[in-house]
Amino acid sequence: MKVCIACGMPMNEISDFPGGDTGKNYCIHCARPDGSMQSFEEKKAGMISFIVKTQGFDEKAAAKIAENTMRKLPAWKEYF
Amino acid sequence: MMSSSKRQLQKENTRKKIIATAYQVYAKQGFTATTAVIAKEAGVSHGTIFVHFPSLDELLTCLIQDFGDTLALETHKLSESNNVGELLRTYVSVLAKYEDFYIRLISERSLLPEDIQMIYANIQSTVAYHFNKVIEREGENQTIKKIPIHVVFNTWMGLLHYYLLNKDFFSPEMPLLERYGSELITTFLELIKK
Repeated sequence: MKVCIACGMPMNEISDFPGGDTGKNYCIHCARPDGSMQSFEEKKAGMISFIVKTQGFDEKAAAKIAENTMRKLPAWKEYF
Repeated sequence: MMSSSKRQLQKENTRKKIIATAYQVYAKQGFTATTAVIAKEAGVSHGTIFVHFPSLDELLTCLIQDFGDTLALETHKLSESNNVGELLRTYVSVLAKYEDFYIRLISERSLLPEDIQMIYANIQSTVAYHFNKVIEREGENQTIKKIPIHVVFNTWMGLLHYYLLNKDFFSPEMPLLERYGSELITTFLELIKK
Protein backbone atom coordinates (compact mmCIF):
# COMPACT_ATOMS: atom_id res chain seq x y z
CA MET A 1 0.00 0.00 0.00
CA LYS A 2 1.28 3.43 -0.92
CA VAL A 3 0.99 6.42 1.38
CA CYS A 4 0.81 9.91 -0.11
CA ILE A 5 4.16 11.69 0.34
CA ALA A 6 2.43 15.06 0.63
CA CYS A 7 -0.43 14.40 3.08
CA GLY A 8 0.02 10.88 4.47
CA MET A 9 -3.24 9.48 3.15
CA PRO A 10 -3.21 5.74 2.36
CA MET A 11 -3.74 5.17 -1.37
CA ASN A 12 -5.59 1.89 -1.88
CA GLU A 13 -7.85 2.65 -4.84
CA ILE A 14 -6.98 3.76 -8.35
CA SER A 15 -9.30 6.70 -7.72
CA ASP A 16 -6.92 7.87 -4.96
CA PHE A 17 -4.25 8.61 -7.58
CA PRO A 18 -4.15 11.74 -9.79
CA GLY A 19 -5.60 10.78 -13.15
CA GLY A 20 -5.65 7.16 -11.97
CA ASP A 21 -1.84 7.06 -12.39
CA THR A 22 -0.66 4.56 -9.76
CA GLY A 23 2.95 5.46 -10.53
CA LYS A 24 2.44 8.75 -8.68
CA ASN A 25 3.55 9.05 -5.06
CA TYR A 26 1.02 11.71 -4.15
CA CYS A 27 -2.74 11.46 -3.96
CA ILE A 28 -5.57 13.12 -5.82
CA HIS A 29 -6.06 15.67 -3.03
CA CYS A 30 -2.46 16.84 -3.36
CA ALA A 31 -2.53 17.20 -7.13
CA ARG A 32 -3.29 20.29 -9.21
CA PRO A 33 -5.93 20.03 -11.93
CA ASP A 34 -3.13 19.29 -14.45
CA GLY A 35 -1.94 16.32 -12.34
CA SER A 36 1.28 17.88 -11.00
CA MET A 37 1.87 18.01 -7.25
CA GLN A 38 0.79 21.11 -5.35
CA SER A 39 3.46 23.44 -4.01
CA PHE A 40 4.25 23.71 -0.29
CA GLU A 41 2.27 26.94 -0.01
CA GLU A 42 -0.70 25.54 -1.91
CA LYS A 43 -0.81 22.41 0.21
CA LYS A 44 -0.42 24.35 3.45
CA ALA A 45 -3.25 26.73 2.54
CA GLY A 46 -5.42 23.77 1.55
CA MET A 47 -4.78 21.97 4.82
CA ILE A 48 -5.51 25.07 6.90
CA SER A 49 -8.80 25.74 5.19
CA PHE A 50 -9.76 22.10 5.50
CA ILE A 51 -9.10 22.07 9.25
CA VAL A 52 -11.08 25.29 9.66
CA LYS A 53 -13.94 23.88 7.59
CA THR A 54 -14.15 20.46 9.23
CA GLN A 55 -13.28 21.33 12.84
CA GLY A 56 -13.96 25.05 13.12
CA PHE A 57 -10.54 25.78 14.64
CA ASP A 58 -8.94 29.20 14.79
CA GLU A 59 -6.88 29.88 11.68
CA LYS A 60 -3.56 30.34 13.52
CA ALA A 61 -4.08 27.14 15.49
CA ALA A 62 -4.99 25.35 12.26
CA ALA A 63 -1.79 26.65 10.63
CA LYS A 64 0.27 25.21 13.46
CA ILE A 65 -1.40 21.82 13.08
CA ALA A 66 -0.95 21.87 9.30
CA GLU A 67 2.75 22.73 9.59
CA ASN A 68 3.29 20.03 12.14
CA THR A 69 1.66 17.46 9.90
CA MET A 70 3.70 18.57 6.88
CA ARG A 71 6.95 18.50 8.85
CA LYS A 72 6.71 14.71 9.08
CA LEU A 73 5.96 14.08 5.41
CA PRO A 74 8.68 13.19 2.88
CA ALA A 75 7.49 15.70 0.29
CA TRP A 76 8.20 18.73 2.49
CA LYS A 77 11.46 17.80 4.24
CA GLU A 78 13.43 20.67 2.70
CA TYR A 79 10.97 23.26 4.07
CA PHE A 80 11.73 22.57 7.72
CA MET B 1 24.50 -18.98 21.42
CA MET B 2 21.27 -17.45 20.24
CA SER B 3 20.84 -16.99 16.50
CA SER B 4 20.48 -13.41 15.30
CA SER B 5 16.92 -13.99 14.04
CA LYS B 6 15.95 -15.42 17.41
CA ARG B 7 17.51 -12.45 19.14
CA GLN B 8 15.65 -10.15 16.76
CA LEU B 9 12.39 -11.87 17.59
CA GLN B 10 13.08 -11.60 21.29
CA LYS B 11 13.82 -7.90 20.89
CA GLU B 12 10.57 -7.41 19.00
CA ASN B 13 8.65 -9.25 21.73
CA THR B 14 10.19 -7.08 24.42
CA ARG B 15 9.24 -3.97 22.48
CA LYS B 16 5.65 -5.18 22.16
CA LYS B 17 5.56 -5.99 25.87
CA ILE B 18 6.78 -2.48 26.76
CA ILE B 19 4.17 -0.88 24.50
CA ALA B 20 1.31 -3.00 25.86
CA THR B 21 2.39 -2.32 29.44
CA ALA B 22 2.82 1.40 28.82
CA TYR B 23 -0.77 1.60 27.53
CA GLN B 24 -2.00 -0.06 30.71
CA VAL B 25 0.12 2.01 33.07
CA TYR B 26 -0.77 5.34 31.45
CA ALA B 27 -4.44 4.32 31.31
CA LYS B 28 -4.41 3.53 35.01
CA GLN B 29 -2.07 6.19 36.41
CA GLY B 30 -2.09 8.93 33.80
CA PHE B 31 0.85 10.51 32.00
CA THR B 32 2.72 11.40 35.18
CA ALA B 33 3.54 7.69 35.58
CA THR B 34 7.29 7.08 35.33
CA THR B 35 9.20 4.79 32.99
CA ALA B 36 10.48 3.01 36.11
CA VAL B 37 6.91 1.91 36.86
CA ILE B 38 6.42 0.77 33.25
CA ALA B 39 9.68 -1.23 33.42
CA LYS B 40 8.66 -2.87 36.69
CA GLU B 41 5.19 -3.79 35.40
CA ALA B 42 6.65 -5.12 32.14
CA GLY B 43 9.20 -7.17 34.02
CA VAL B 44 12.18 -5.59 32.28
CA SER B 45 15.06 -3.49 33.57
CA HIS B 46 14.72 0.27 33.45
CA GLY B 47 17.58 0.46 30.96
CA THR B 48 15.82 -1.92 28.57
CA ILE B 49 13.06 0.63 28.00
CA PHE B 50 15.64 3.14 26.80
CA VAL B 51 17.18 0.61 24.44
CA HIS B 52 13.84 0.53 22.65
CA PHE B 53 12.77 4.12 23.27
CA PRO B 54 15.76 6.43 23.74
CA SER B 55 13.54 9.10 25.29
CA LEU B 56 10.20 9.33 27.05
CA ASP B 57 8.91 11.43 24.15
CA GLU B 58 9.68 8.61 21.76
CA LEU B 59 7.70 6.16 23.84
CA LEU B 60 4.73 8.56 24.04
CA THR B 61 4.93 9.31 20.33
CA CYS B 62 4.93 5.62 19.50
CA LEU B 63 1.90 4.92 21.73
CA ILE B 64 -0.24 7.78 20.53
CA GLN B 65 0.76 7.31 16.90
CA ASP B 66 0.00 3.61 17.13
CA PHE B 67 -3.45 4.33 18.51
CA GLY B 68 -4.02 7.01 15.85
CA ASP B 69 -2.91 4.71 13.04
CA THR B 70 -5.33 2.01 14.13
CA LEU B 71 -8.14 4.53 14.33
CA ALA B 72 -7.26 6.06 10.95
CA LEU B 73 -7.02 2.70 9.22
CA GLU B 74 -10.36 1.46 10.51
CA THR B 75 -12.25 4.66 9.77
CA HIS B 76 -10.55 5.06 6.38
CA LYS B 77 -12.12 1.78 5.26
CA LEU B 78 -15.56 3.22 6.00
CA SER B 79 -15.04 6.73 4.70
CA GLU B 80 -16.12 5.57 1.24
CA SER B 81 -19.49 4.51 2.57
CA ASN B 82 -22.44 6.82 2.80
CA ASN B 83 -23.50 5.67 6.20
CA VAL B 84 -22.50 7.91 9.06
CA GLY B 85 -23.92 5.44 11.61
CA GLU B 86 -21.58 2.73 10.37
CA LEU B 87 -18.62 5.10 10.56
CA LEU B 88 -19.47 6.07 14.13
CA ARG B 89 -19.94 2.47 15.22
CA THR B 90 -16.51 1.55 13.89
CA TYR B 91 -14.98 4.66 15.44
CA VAL B 92 -16.50 3.87 18.83
CA SER B 93 -15.45 0.22 18.65
CA VAL B 94 -11.81 1.22 18.13
CA LEU B 95 -11.98 3.81 20.93
CA ALA B 96 -13.51 1.17 23.20
CA LYS B 97 -10.31 -0.88 22.94
CA TYR B 98 -8.29 2.11 24.13
CA GLU B 99 -10.94 3.67 26.37
CA ASP B 100 -8.97 4.38 29.54
CA PHE B 101 -5.89 5.46 27.60
CA TYR B 102 -8.00 7.77 25.44
CA ILE B 103 -9.64 9.34 28.50
CA ARG B 104 -6.16 10.13 29.84
CA LEU B 105 -5.17 11.53 26.47
CA ILE B 106 -8.08 13.96 26.30
CA SER B 107 -8.09 14.91 29.98
CA GLU B 108 -4.31 15.31 30.41
CA ARG B 109 -3.37 16.55 26.97
CA SER B 110 -2.00 19.86 28.27
CA LEU B 111 0.54 17.97 30.42
CA LEU B 112 2.14 16.47 27.32
CA PRO B 113 4.95 18.10 25.32
CA GLU B 114 3.63 20.19 22.44
CA ASP B 115 4.95 17.84 19.75
CA ILE B 116 2.99 14.99 21.28
CA GLN B 117 -0.13 17.13 21.56
CA MET B 118 0.18 17.74 17.84
CA ILE B 119 -0.07 14.02 17.18
CA TYR B 120 -3.45 14.15 18.90
CA ALA B 121 -4.42 17.14 16.74
CA ASN B 122 -3.39 15.16 13.71
CA ILE B 123 -5.50 12.18 14.74
CA GLN B 124 -8.51 14.47 15.17
CA SER B 125 -7.91 15.97 11.72
CA THR B 126 -7.90 12.52 10.16
CA VAL B 127 -11.10 11.56 11.95
CA ALA B 128 -12.67 14.87 10.88
CA TYR B 129 -11.58 14.17 7.30
CA HIS B 130 -13.33 10.79 7.22
CA PHE B 131 -16.34 12.20 9.00
CA ASN B 132 -16.53 15.03 6.47
CA LYS B 133 -16.42 12.66 3.51
CA VAL B 134 -19.34 10.61 4.75
CA ILE B 135 -21.38 13.59 5.95
CA GLU B 136 -20.93 15.37 2.61
CA ARG B 137 -22.19 12.31 0.80
CA GLU B 138 -25.17 12.04 3.14
CA GLY B 139 -25.72 15.75 2.57
CA GLU B 140 -25.87 15.19 -1.19
CA ASN B 141 -28.47 12.51 -0.61
CA GLN B 142 -30.33 14.99 1.61
CA THR B 143 -30.50 12.55 4.49
CA ILE B 144 -29.14 14.94 7.10
CA LYS B 145 -30.00 18.44 8.22
CA LYS B 146 -28.19 21.46 6.83
CA ILE B 147 -25.73 22.19 9.61
CA PRO B 148 -22.15 23.40 9.02
CA ILE B 149 -19.87 20.36 8.93
CA HIS B 150 -17.61 21.53 11.75
CA VAL B 151 -20.61 21.93 14.05
CA VAL B 152 -21.83 18.43 13.22
CA PHE B 153 -18.37 17.07 14.00
CA ASN B 154 -17.91 19.12 17.17
CA THR B 155 -21.38 18.21 18.43
CA TRP B 156 -20.48 14.53 18.17
CA MET B 157 -17.07 15.05 19.77
CA GLY B 158 -18.57 17.20 22.52
CA LEU B 159 -21.14 14.56 23.36
CA LEU B 160 -18.65 11.71 23.28
CA HIS B 161 -15.97 13.50 25.26
CA TYR B 162 -18.44 14.73 27.91
CA TYR B 163 -19.37 11.15 28.70
CA LEU B 164 -15.78 9.94 28.58
CA LEU B 165 -14.45 12.75 30.78
CA ASN B 166 -17.14 12.04 33.36
CA LYS B 167 -16.88 8.26 33.20
CA ASP B 168 -16.69 8.10 37.00
CA PHE B 169 -20.24 9.48 37.15
CA PHE B 170 -21.72 7.74 34.12
CA SER B 171 -20.19 4.33 34.36
CA PRO B 172 -17.83 3.84 37.29
CA GLU B 173 -17.86 0.08 37.20
CA MET B 174 -17.84 -0.86 33.55
CA PRO B 175 -16.36 0.46 30.30
CA LEU B 176 -18.29 3.57 29.35
CA LEU B 177 -18.51 2.93 25.61
CA GLU B 178 -19.76 -0.58 26.20
CA ARG B 179 -22.57 0.87 28.28
CA TYR B 180 -23.36 4.10 26.39
CA GLY B 181 -21.76 3.81 22.93
CA SER B 182 -24.91 2.67 21.11
CA GLU B 183 -27.12 5.18 22.89
CA LEU B 184 -24.79 8.07 22.01
CA ILE B 185 -24.65 7.05 18.35
CA THR B 186 -28.40 6.56 18.06
CA THR B 187 -29.15 9.86 19.75
CA PHE B 188 -26.64 11.77 17.65
CA LEU B 189 -28.05 10.31 14.44
CA GLU B 190 -31.56 11.30 15.49
CA LEU B 191 -30.33 14.85 16.07
CA ILE B 192 -28.73 15.26 12.65
CA LYS B 193 -31.02 13.19 10.43
CA LYS B 194 -33.85 14.80 8.52
